[in-house]
Amino acid sequence: MSAPSTAPAAGLRARLQGRSELSVAALLAVIAIVIAVDTANIRHTAINAGVMGPQVVPTVIATGLGLCAIALAISVLRGGHAEAEDGEDIDLTQKAHWPTVFGLGGLIFVFALTMDFLGFVIGSALLFYGSALLLGSRRFIWALVIGILLAVGTFYGFALGLGIYLPAGLLTGIL
Amino acid sequence: MENLTLLIEGFSNALTPQNLLFALIGVLLGTAVGVLPGIGPAMTVALLLPLTYALDVTGSLIMFAGIYYGGMYGGSTTSILLNTPGESSSVVTALEGNKMAKAGRGAQALATAAIGSFVAGTLATGALVLVAPFIVAIAIGLGAPSYFALMVFAFVAVSAVLGSSRIRGLASLFIGLTIGLVGQDLTTGQPRLMFGQPLLSGGIDVVVIAVALFAVGEALWIAAHLRHGVPPTIPVGVPWMGKEDWKRSWKPWLRGTVIGFPFGAIPAGGAEIPTFLSYVTEKRLSKHPEQFGHGAIEGVAGPEAANNASAAGTLVPLLTLGLPTTATAAVMIAAFNQYNIHPGPLLFQTEPVLVWTLIASLFIGNTLLLALNLPLAPLWAKLLRIPRPYLYAGILFFATLGAYAAGMQTFNIGILLVLGALGYMARRFGFPVLPIIVGAILGPEMERQLRRALQISAGDPAALLSEPVAVVAYTVIVLFLVVPPVIKAVRRRFGRGGPTGGLQAGGDSDGYSEDTESTVEFDAFGTQTSDGSARVIRVVRPQTERRGK
Repeated sequence: MSAPSTAPAAGLRARLQGRSELSVAALLAVIAIVIAVDTANIRHTAINAGVMGPQVVPTVIATGLGLCAIALAISVLRGGHAEAEDGEDIDLTQKAHWPTVFGLGGLIFVFALTMDFLGFVIGSALLFYGSALLLGSRRFIWALVIGILLAVGTFYGFALGLGIYLPAGLLTGIL
Repeated sequence: MENLTLLIEGFSNALTPQNLLFALIGVLLGTAVGVLPGIGPAMTVALLLPLTYALDVTGSLIMFAGIYYGGMYGGSTTSILLNTPGESSSVVTALEGNKMAKAGRGAQALATAAIGSFVAGTLATGALVLVAPFIVAIAIGLGAPSYFALMVFAFVAVSAVLGSSRIRGLASLFIGLTIGLVGQDLTTGQPRLMFGQPLLSGGIDVVVIAVALFAVGEALWIAAHLRHGVPPTIPVGVPWMGKEDWKRSWKPWLRGTVIGFPFGAIPAGGAEIPTFLSYVTEKRLSKHPEQFGHGAIEGVAGPEAANNASAAGTLVPLLTLGLPTTATAAVMIAAFNQYNIHPGPLLFQTEPVLVWTLIASLFIGNTLLLALNLPLAPLWAKLLRIPRPYLYAGILFFATLGAYAAGMQTFNIGILLVLGALGYMARRFGFPVLPIIVGAILGPEMERQLRRALQISAGDPAALLSEPVAVVAYTVIVLFLVVPPVIKAVRRRFGRGGPTGGLQAGGDSDGYSEDTESTVEFDAFGTQTSDGSARVIRVVRPQTERRGK
């Protein structure tokens, strides 16, 4: 996170701190390369003649991203660092808690995979329950009850109020 | 006078019992969701979008107007009662508002915010009514080169001018443009960045992008750094103001409106600069400058008015030119696109009833907001104590729902996750989210205009400079980009003396300041250091540059 602003950090330490942002520069460069490769594979068809072809804008974007990657890398190496975003419930003094983040991401992923089979109600109730527990709720029954109420309420709200039918999945015929 | 007739027609459309009900629901939900900590106006609008899917266009726009103003008001309630606000436009409100609440004057702070928002919102919407037809009259004659230039201008404004770091802003913009690239090219039908996935051929749904960046990214980011326990909130009664408070508030409301509206209306909007300018102005003009930093009511009244006036001003470029310059406006474009409505000068000609109904419903939403929120404020304050695990689990719940409902595709939830991770990275590494969403939305449109301009000229790039508006736009862009670094270089050469020297403290080449210097900058304005300090600094930087010119 933000570098301690007391004494200028020792060379190695400064480099270590900057390193995570260098990975962002690398990511930008990778995206630029992906765009460039993708653009190179666009077939030149007859329609491309006359009007501006579909390659022009992607080429500009890839170039721009590449330049940003280089500029960011230089800026980071020269000691620039970003400010992480603050907020009401954010405590930047503690380190990122990765199990929570990946747990939540995993839950969403599993939800996406199982949604059609389980249906919206079961899937999203479990998503809510799992997320609440990962985020530190210790009221195991309450959280589940809230999740189920939220899911069932949304399902019927969408069906009756908006006329949108979310997939019922396993509960088809019951709901 | 023609506008007036149209506006009255708009009112008669909006004032049916059914539409009033939609407006009421919009205001209530918008405020309730906007009050929740961690949810800014843009996220409020994005999360509540699915609700409008089943309504007809008019009904959904009316509900939308309610959600829009409700979400904005909710944010200021949060910042007054909780401090450290989530969205940058409420930072300044928190400075004095939270101090007032701590000193037992929360009711007055909420009242001046609510009434000031109403006054500013109404006046600024009135200004919108007056200004919009003129801009439409000019815009209708603009060709593709001008539109292209204006979009480039909006890109530069949101990425290189508003933020704190140009490199990060531009990188965000290009990432957004990349997202906008996905799908079949509109003109030639060639697949771009589709990686053989047919579900991507229509591009990524803008609603999914917005929900991912604002809701999922934010929820994941907060989850990583979740503060243990709920921060103390200040209980509050029904907002009211005494005679003295009214006397001290009405001028700041009007001044805030005057400062806020133009900043919103130029396509380089954002509420950060006007709210801060208003704060500084009120501090200078106040008869009680010593109260600033300890809960001066002027410091809430002015910035809140400026915030709302600039929000209404944002609608000028949005409706007349189709240019979104704030995150909320970007999400609103997404909502319009759902109905195949494309904001721009043509909209005023093809769908005048629709446009004027929307504007009329802005007035209605604003009035409902005042009528509802004064009595309901204690209830909203209770919402701040919602247990955080449920709050953020709920955000994920509704985010996945919104993404799924956007196309009834589980594939969308996968995209939601990927772009949510992007939103997380943006927050972690200080990349502004606004240029991403603006780039993703305007990118395809920009390409279309560029094509059109070049097609007319048979590929001669000189055509891009063939219209006066385009030339002006490029000139301003060059000034934006060139002048600040030159001033910086000159200052560096001649030393940093003088009282403003400390303000120009810049860390590295792209304008990032070190933490220690931030505090110096902040104190230079005599305000107290708080958690929000870093954000206020971002406001300071462009302002000093402007002064430098």
